[in-house]
Amino acid sequence: MLKLKSKEKLFKMLFCLCAFVSAAAVALICIFMFANGFPAMAENGFFKFLFGEEWRPTAGQFGILPMITGSICVTAGAIIFGVPLGLMCAIFLAGFCPKKLYKVLKPAIDLLAGIPSVVYGYFGLMAIVPIMQDIFGGNGKGILTASILLGFMILPTIISVSEASLRAVPNAYYEGSLALGATHEQSMFKTVFPAAGSGIFAGVILGIGRAIGETMAVAMVAGNSAIFPDSLTSNVRTLTTNIILEMGYATGLHRQMLIATGVVLFIFILIINLCFSMLKRKGGKAQ
Amino acid sequence: MRKAAKLVSYLCVAALAVCGLGACNNDANNDKDDDTKNPSTSTPGGDDTTGMSGEIYVISREESSGTRSAFTEILEIIDADGNDATVATAEVTNSTGVMLTTVAGNDKAIGYVSLGSLNDTVKALSVDGVEATADNIKNNTYPVSRPFVMAYKEAEASDLAKDFIAYVMSSQGQAIIAEESYIAADESAEEYTASGLSGSLSIEGSTSVGPVMEILAEAYMELNPDANITVTQDGSGTGITAAIDGGCDIAISSRALKEEEAAELTPVTIATDGIAVIVNTENSIDSLTSEQIKEIFLGNITEWDELN
Repeated sequence: MLKLKSKEKLFKMLFCLCAFVSAAAVALICIFMFANGFPAMAENGFFKFLFGEEWRPTAGQFGILPMITGSICVTAGAIIFGVPLGLMCAIFLAGFCPKKLYKVLKPAIDLLAGIPSVVYGYFGLMAIVPIMQDIFGGNGKGILTASILLGFMILPTIISVSEASLRAVPNAYYEGSLALGATHEQSMFKTVFPAAGSGIFAGVILGIGRAIGETMAVAMVAGNSAIFPDSLTSNVRTLTTNIILEMGYATGLHRQMLIATGVVLFIFILIINLCFSMLKRKGGKAQ
Repeated sequence: MRKAAKLVSYLCVAALAVCGLGACNNDANNDKDDDTKNPSTSTPGGDDTTGMSGEIYVISREESSGTRSAFTEILEIIDADGNDATVATAEVTNSTGVMLTTVAGNDKAIGYVSLGSLNDTVKALSVDGVEATADNIKNNTYPVSRPFVMAYKEAEASDLAKDFIAYVMSSQGQAIIAEESYIAADESAEEYTASGLSGSLSIEGSTSVGPVMEILAEAYMELNPDANITVTQDGSGTGITAAIDGGCDIAISSRALKEEEAAELTPVTIATDGIAVIVNTENSIDSLTSEQIKEIFLGNITEWDELN
């Protein structure tokens, strides 16, 4: 009896330790990023760093405004492509899909989530870029190409979270709507969809998080010029690609400025996650 | 039963995906074929120099790449302060592979790769009328090349330092250099036999020479287990200064020593690195002057018409 109790205690401790390890990892990353990034930012001047328009490491100019703009443009583009497609798909899966088809579609979407991003990037480079070259001329890379590719990449996140929240809506909503004389379509779009609103929004925000943090695929199709984009087909560099492009050989202040770029990215992600958890809490209360 | 159904559906999806990808690739290839057929039929008899027009797509490497710094240094793609001034609108790729794929897929692109990585999916331009070949780099006629140099103080060099340089210049050392796709300085070098020397040796300098030097050092330490070699990569200039001041035993440099540096140190050229300027295989231009390449990468020449 006693032995069992002590064993139980032991395992409780073990699990507790596991929980702490992941929390400690987050804390360590935070400390590392801020301790390394902030002094460099201060050395270069916060304002000059965040709002500087020139990124020329060899000339000692570290302004990341073009990259911030790039990240926002590409993410916005990904939302424009990915969100409508993802939501329609989720509604179809939750409300209209025949069971047999569902058995094919659902694993396909899950598979989409498991494809490594470098494979997406290669697909973009070999398939989307030549098509864009044919349509718009030019090099076929840039905001539009990156947005389309990212739109694909955020689909699984949006679809699975939205579908789950559509399915979580109590059946009474749907039945009540039918009882009032609404058709199946009306009930789905006007009753179930709004009821799942906060959950769907959370899915979209998670998708945004994925889009803004994506690196490898974007690096291969965005063109990566550190300039302000002036058109949809203009080359663009995002915060993430700025880091991965130059981290390999960077030394000294250049390296620190790349870590500082990571800090900015980190703050972006923190804001997005904060939005997500706030929405989740609100959604939880509503139900 | 259900598991089997799931498995079958997974397989179906995989098969569909493969078909889709295949179709995409075919489409892309077909389109390219069409493009290439049209100009050749429209200009029968084909005058080579009138072929290229339209905007030049300049493709560069990332700011901290060794190839980029070598390229901009050799062709003087720099501003008044001596800093890299590659045109900001240039597309940036972060690897040789993506550079090659990009140039191979865009008939108006121009880029550069280390000569060792060159393959026939792209066309290497002659620079100042000299073809980019290993032979032309060896006889110093191809302009876009740079020597890899080890430099040391003759009077103060330890036996270990001399022995390591002897190893680098031996058939084994030169084979490692060739394997890293640089052009070995001495192809008929003699074989090195382990000396069994001990002690420590510090090497400092170029980030371009550094990676191959690390491999050489490791191979040397395997032959001579008592020796301990450290390689610090912090730039050619820093390494040479350190060697002159006695801060390190051997400097590694990706440029020839300047006169005042050569007065203090003994240089040994261990290899040569060549950079090929590459264009699409459809490009009708075969040769550019180094001045033209410089103006293209500075952004002063933006149209292919200007080069005809």
